Amino acid sequence: MEAPDELLMLAYRDGDAGAFETLYARHRGALYRFVLRSLKDRSVAEELFQEAWIRVIEARERYAASARFKTWLYTIAHNLLVDHWRRKGLTLVELNDDEHASPDNPAHQVEARETAARFLQALEALPPAQREAFLLHEEGEMSVAEIAAATGTNEEAAKSRLRYAMTKLKAAVDE
Amino acid sequence: MSDDPKISQRYRELPREEPPRALDDAILAASRRAVQSRPAPLVAPTGRRRWYVPVAAAAVITLAVAVTLHIQHDRPSEEIDAVAPAMKVQETPAPKATEPARAERRAPQPFAAAPSAPAPAAAPAASPAAEAEPRGDIGAASSGVRASRDERVRAQAQVARTAMEQGPEVILERIAELRKQGRHGEADKALAEFRKRYPDYRLTDEMRAKVEKK
Repeated sequence: MEAPDELLMLAYRDGDAGAFETLYARHRGALYRFVLRSLKDRSVAEELFQEAWIRVIEARERYAASARFKTWLYTIAHNLLVDHWRRKGLTLVELNDDEHASPDNPAHQVEARETAARFLQALEALPPAQREAFLLHEEGEMSVAEIAAATGTNEEAAKSRLRYAMTKLKAAVDE
Repeated sequence: MSDDPKISQRYRELPREEPPRALDDAILAASRRAVQSRPAPLVAPTGRRRWYVPVAAAAVITLAVAVTLHIQHDRPSEEIDAVAPAMKVQETPAPKATEPARAERRAPQPFAAAPSAPAPAAAPAASPAAEAEPRGDIGAASSGVRASRDERVRAQAQVARTAMEQGPEVILERIAELRKQGRHGEADKALAEFRKRYPDYRLTDEMRAKVEKK
């Protein structure tokens, strides 16, 4: 039986470097894809991914196993994304509105209808908040409540974002 | 929440991208550095904790040395005291004369001046002292050199102890008793001891008739 994330983080807090390596190996891929697919710039995504783990390392002394480690980890990543968007002059709330969604290339959508690339295109076309909710659900394997906790919103909003994302992606797949 | 497995499946079909190896190495190196930078408490304590172990060790050593010195310092005095009765018997000093000597022996001495050698040397003398205890059968040991010596020692001890505990009149009464019982040898020795101890004591005619040999 694998050690829970929370115990590994406590072990790392107490000086066990191996515990962090296990923790990192367990979450590196999902978190990387979450950040990468939330942004279009790979270099920025890598920078934010590294920054998220550095913050975990730096916050180890203050870590308390009162919340799930994964929720805490994705909260850090979410906050970094929000900061990034703010620097770019965008906000998560604004981008939650369909009217502010990034313009799609209809021709490209039609061409990639049956392919994974098209699905990815549809994902990238989602408003950031919806995309984030979807990625937390898929990569972080989070429930609506956990998505709400990680993104600092209420469950209704989280549920709504996820439902919108699912509907749009389903439409893209079914086309 | 409308959870569509088809959407999830389609998502899983996307490339499973992983962070570059260099990124992994950089993050893991940072995690190890962070742990190594914090010193382990028992290996290299810092601040006031650094002094706890040395101070505790010094306190224990100091206490042990002090107790050892105290024991070694007291032991010779106790052994001298144990031997003292025998010495007093052999020397038959006056009771008042023994007090300063006793006080002098009890006076504190420096550690270097308190060797353990005198104690074993004085130990054999403790044996006669123990034998000097009155047994009530002094006249029975009347034959042989050893018996004679024992008798003399016992008589002297008797006189000395009596002299310390009682007055000269009591001693004279005891000598008179020995004389009356016909134990003239013991009476003569006791009287000689009495005269050594009390050279200025003037016997009355009546007492002289009782204690001196007729």
